[in-house]
Amino acid sequence: MEDGNEVVIDVKGLVRKYHSSTGILHQKRRETVAVDNIDFQVRRGELFGLLGPNGAGKTTTIKVLTTLLLPTTGNVSILGYDVVKQSMEVRKRIGLILGGERGLYYRVTARQNLRYFADIYGVPISVRDRRIEEVLDKVNLLDKADTRVEDYSRGMKQRLHIAKGIIHDPELIFMDELTIGLDPEAARDARDMTKELVADGKTILLTTHYMYEADELCDRIGVITRGKIVALDTPKGLKSLVKDTSVIEVEGFGVTERDLESLRALDGVRTVAASMCEDKQTLRVQVGDPVSLLPKVTHLLEDRNVIGMKVKEPTLEDAYLWLVREDA
Amino acid sequence: MPRLRATVSSFRHQAAMFWAEPQWIIPNVIAPFVLAMVVLMIYREPSPEAVLYAVLGGGMMGMWGNTLYASGFSIQSDRWWGTVDAIFAAPSPLIWIIGGRTIWNAFVGIVNGLFVLVAAMIIFQTPLEIADFPLFILAFVLTLLSLAALGMLFSAAFVLTRSAQVLTNGLEFPIYVGTGSMFPIFLLPYWTHPLSYSLAPTWGIDAIRYAALSDYAQGFSAGYWGDLLYMMILAVFYLTVSIWLYKAVDHRARKTANLMRY
Repeated sequence: MEDGNEVVIDVKGLVRKYHSSTGILHQKRRETVAVDNIDFQVRRGELFGLLGPNGAGKTTTIKVLTTLLLPTTGNVSILGYDVVKQSMEVRKRIGLILGGERGLYYRVTARQNLRYFADIYGVPISVRDRRIEEVLDKVNLLDKADTRVEDYSRGMKQRLHIAKGIIHDPELIFMDELTIGLDPEAARDARDMTKELVADGKTILLTTHYMYEADELCDRIGVITRGKIVALDTPKGLKSLVKDTSVIEVEGFGVTERDLESLRALDGVRTVAASMCEDKQTLRVQVGDPVSLLPKVTHLLEDRNVIGMKVKEPTLEDAYLWLVREDA
Repeated sequence: MPRLRATVSSFRHQAAMFWAEPQWIIPNVIAPFVLAMVVLMIYREPSPEAVLYAVLGGGMMGMWGNTLYASGFSIQSDRWWGTVDAIFAAPSPLIWIIGGRTIWNAFVGIVNGLFVLVAAMIIFQTPLEIADFPLFILAFVLTLLSLAALGMLFSAAFVLTRSAQVLTNGLEFPIYVGTGSMFPIFLLPYWTHPLSYSLAPTWGIDAIRYAALSDYAQGFSAGYWGDLLYMMILAVFYLTVSIWLYKAVDHRARKTANLMRY
């Protein structure tokens, strides 16, 4: 029986900077701090989420943890091994699953992809072919094993990504934007597979910017923005940060950037977030007192094509929006 | 042995990728073949020995063109596929993975070289009477290995750049000329000789000609075995530098984060 309190990821004071330069004769050097002095720990068997907007530092963090990047300063220990000095020991024990279209050899079959990755990830030859069958079965691709990857749907490719990441039976799995670009059914399949991996005893660190995914899957979540971890708690704990907040959700068309600025300027409004699905806009206006703010919001948007407005309890998304707001 | 398995698997995988994309035959086989044919036509003169000299050189050009071209692609293709993260994060060191690919590329180069040789023999009606067949084969195989070592050296240098193709295009002709594939090195300016002698294929092609031509008079004074010795010393040197370069590349790529950019 594994010790559930064993720390398998230990990050202390991690800083990662990027340097870039422009110009030839008068070269200008620019420094970007992608990860700014973060600390966190992940215990064995845990599903830990790193949640943050684009450019927050999630992928950089995962790349340092998976030995793809060196930290600028700070210490990172994975399963007791230092990512700088013992990178090969770390690589043997971890799996990396990336989201997105790329990351597979499209011109060859799933089985050929897995055989190659099994070999370079050190799967013993005596178990390799059996292991390939097992993981293909696990991700429901056994019947398509000898089909070229270029003929796969996006969801099938993502399942093959998962198979590739676990082919060497790693103890610890890193998933970067696992469900990005997937349709709802494929995303649900990917989440179900993630749950199965945790049930099999794997430890997982997942980065995402989908709130429902983090809420559904993660035991604990670190919210990262502008390179810093601004909150680290269970989903329930994070939601409690906005327990005295209500959300006015507005659905409609034709809302402008100027309207959003006007909403933000209203006294009592904490944050305003807008999302778009096809033509329809959805605004989430966080307020302390919905009773007094509802008429003001209605008045401000009276010339817009509003098709629905309701007051809701805050979700993890609202806690997240509160944490990553510009003026935080 | 896991590292050797990574090399063997990379060789096999590179072969599968090659056959899966037939268009690779154009830059890897047809283009060097056409180029070698053009040079042979320019070079042609009444002396059958001279034609045979050029035919062997043409074969060498085919081998070299392929090795250079493919080494430029050794990691660039992974940038395109988006697999470079997974390759770099593997517990098998990058040099063993690239090694398998480079040996496959050199193998294609050898096949291409033989193809050019046979085609040139037919076109120019020059029967190739190998003076010493076992020594010819030995020189050919060792030249393959030295080409793979040179390919490793180039691929290590190309890992960090996104402009590998530009560099390979620029290096193609200097090497054709510098190795003596087109014409004897002694016709070149003296100052170019150190460059020629620092290239293992220069010695390889000379050894091949020694083994193939019974009255080969333009060879290096080292003779057949001396050629092979110098070639192997250079190949070991290339490999040693490659090992060092790949370690440096690993560190630099992790420091500058430029490996994955494409």
